[in-house]
Amino acid sequence: MTTDKIIPAALALMLSATVLSAQDAIRIASPNKVTVLDPIVSAAGGNIEAYGQLYARLLRKGADGALEPGLAESWEVSEDGLTYTFEMRDAKFSDGSLITAEDAAFSLTRVAKDEKSAYPAGFAPIKEVTAIDEDTLQITLQHASASMLSNLEIFNAGIVSKNDVEERGEEGAFASDPVASGPYMVKEWKPNDRITLTANPHYWREGLPKIQTVELIEVSDDNARATMAMAGEIDVNRSVPWAQVEEVNNSDGVSVALEPSTVLYLVLPNHDKAPFDNLNVRKAAAMALDRAAITEAVTLGNAEVANSTFSNALNYHDASLQPPAYDPAAARKLLEEEGLVGTEITMMITPSFEQLATLLKAQWDAVGFKTTVERVDAGLWWSNMAEGEYQVTVNWYYNETEDPDLAVRWALCDTCGSKSYYTNYHNEELNKLTEEALRERDETKRAELYSKIQQISLEELAQIPLYYAPFSIAYADRVKGLTLTPSLQWTLEDAELTAN
Amino acid sequence: MNTLRYIAFRLMQAIPVLLGVSIITFTLMAATPGDPVRLLVGDRASAETIALIRDRYGLDEPILMQYFTYLKNLVVGDLGASLRYRVPVSQLITQHYPVTLFLVIYTIVLTLPPVIALAVWSAKRQNGPADQVIRMLGVLGLAVPVFWLALLFARFFGVTLGWFPVSGFGETILDHFRHLFLPALSTAIWVVPILVRTLRAALLEEMNRDYVVTGQSKGLGDRQIFRTHVFPNSVLPTLNLFAVIVAYLLGGSVIVETVYAVPGMGKLMVDSILARDYFVVQGATLVFALTTILVMLAVDLLSALIDPRVTP
Repeated sequence: MTTDKIIPAALALMLSATVLSAQDAIRIASPNKVTVLDPIVSAAGGNIEAYGQLYARLLRKGADGALEPGLAESWEVSEDGLTYTFEMRDAKFSDGSLITAEDAAFSLTRVAKDEKSAYPAGFAPIKEVTAIDEDTLQITLQHASASMLSNLEIFNAGIVSKNDVEERGEEGAFASDPVASGPYMVKEWKPNDRITLTANPHYWREGLPKIQTVELIEVSDDNARATMAMAGEIDVNRSVPWAQVEEVNNSDGVSVALEPSTVLYLVLPNHDKAPFDNLNVRKAAAMALDRAAITEAVTLGNAEVANSTFSNALNYHDASLQPPAYDPAAARKLLEEEGLVGTEITMMITPSFEQLATLLKAQWDAVGFKTTVERVDAGLWWSNMAEGEYQVTVNWYYNETEDPDLAVRWALCDTCGSKSYYTNYHNEELNKLTEEALRERDETKRAELYSKIQQISLEELAQIPLYYAPFSIAYADRVKGLTLTPSLQWTLEDAELTAN
Repeated sequence: MNTLRYIAFRLMQAIPVLLGVSIITFTLMAATPGDPVRLLVGDRASAETIALIRDRYGLDEPILMQYFTYLKNLVVGDLGASLRYRVPVSQLITQHYPVTLFLVIYTIVLTLPPVIALAVWSAKRQNGPADQVIRMLGVLGLAVPVFWLALLFARFFGVTLGWFPVSGFGETILDHFRHLFLPALSTAIWVVPILVRTLRAALLEEMNRDYVVTGQSKGLGDRQIFRTHVFPNSVLPTLNLFAVIVAYLLGGSVIVETVYAVPGMGKLMVDSILARDYFVVQGATLVFALTTILVMLAVDLLSALIDPRVTP
């Protein structure tokens, strides 16, 4: 073959290979990375999304969001709410061994008690987890916890194989091919690139999952993900920037779904530092903001203006509350009364908040603040937060369940471990209410307690809530039945790929 | 034999260079605020958990101690482990390095033929219409930002025409050629004009040398003078520039790797810096430095081969 024949031949081959693509594989591109496979050691977004596929929990969430039996077939809660007894189902791990109460006790004890556990907050009330016999698991609590069952459904409550962890050691068992209890197991993991999952043949829900292979690809660049989706190289784009929603919807074969999330965008003032230690200054900062206009400008009308310190997807969210209304004149007056017109503030942001920061600065400066924007990367942001080295910043957070207990402990209660999302906001009554609400098992009373918590934190402007952002996810038309739940779990086991 | 001794000498020289690079990287990373452990365990981990893991990873030791531990391991060929992925750094480099190397070589392969053709064409008819057009296109190629061009190519050749994939690396060699075509092309468009300008200038200079007239007076044909005398003499300056560009391509690969979601070294490097994954940054920097040293050495040897007056 001469050179002038090789080139066209090679080109022809290259083009024909483009057409081939497996029908039984779904490719999901996300900016979030999978970094570790041990479900207890990380609570970062990318890991949460993968853990759910690898490790099944005692309970699962149905399509309507209600708790359903998972690896536990049934359960009973004692009269005093202190003892939970679970009957395990006859399910198997991906290596074919039986999933016993022993495995469940081992896994739950790890997440609740192991000092490496990254996020044990939901399991703090647990006194002991014991296997009574092969099929019966008993959890005893130190005090009642209304959110215990829903917490047993979150990502880090996944059941791992005790035998395997003891045999290979923690490092070995979770290095690259952990024994799985969920719908999928690891086929191949290329750190910093992609993880390929394949259906677990022993998964307890018979006939599921329908999709054989799942590729979770990490692509940090928004434009790259958009192009890949349009070229048909991925089936799902985990995160479509607001500015691209319309473009994606206008292109063939793919559309954006806005799915409910517990994501709340908010302004975080540092309550330990002047001037935001002053309630009137926080009020002025809140009244200076036209939050409706900000939401519209940033999300192009795709998000809802926040009315409370709770996400509207959380249970007991109080829709009747409102933060101080937009009133720049009154905001200026407050600053004048405090003698703080022209007060200099520094707003710390990470690069993704550039646009929001511009809007906040313009509106704050209009009422008499003098705002400087300080740009840091995520690594520095978290360090500064933990050390309280900032005046005011913006970010978002989500909650792993619809139950608000963990959200309150994270963002509003300062003695619960994270100093109210590192804002150092402190309110004794709210801290007490947090513990009370966790123990309260009467729905109506619990709703009242959480309503009270929202009232207090909003009145004192613990934070300035901005908007409730849905997940914006692009799906290829051939993907059916796939969503990302508010607890960051893909419903892959119920999804299907249709031929197109 | 002389050449072999020279190569050995140059490689010995590389050791202090690499040592210097490692000290600078280590100091810079240590001076960068931000905690890798916090990024690893996620937002909600408690201060106690973070302290425990920092301690376990030896991150609380004095910096100097950490460096010596690192150096000690390095001597026996152990690059350490990624804090974030808990896999050996060498595994990450083995996974990402071939991708970038493939991309750089592919870019070079796409670059060389047009550079030679365009420079010769341009120089042979100086100030002719072809020369003008080539020079103008050159300025255009230099002026267009790579990331923008890359995005445009992805949308046009990848999405609209569907000729080439817009992401990834693929599994087979043939796949690699397809997947990296657009990234290599986007980079080549920026590299070609630089090399064309240098080569053209060198050609023009050599074409007016006395030895050309001597050759002509001896009855040599113009073609032969060009091929055996002018061209080899003109290549040297371009070759040296080329070495610099190759080193730059290695580092600059991060731009096209980002736009085309190519899992290469540039991406690994940037991600690791953002995650404060110290040992990966360190290992990647050393590999970059070593590659640059080897490319420079190769170019020097090649120069000596082309021009006997250049002694290695």
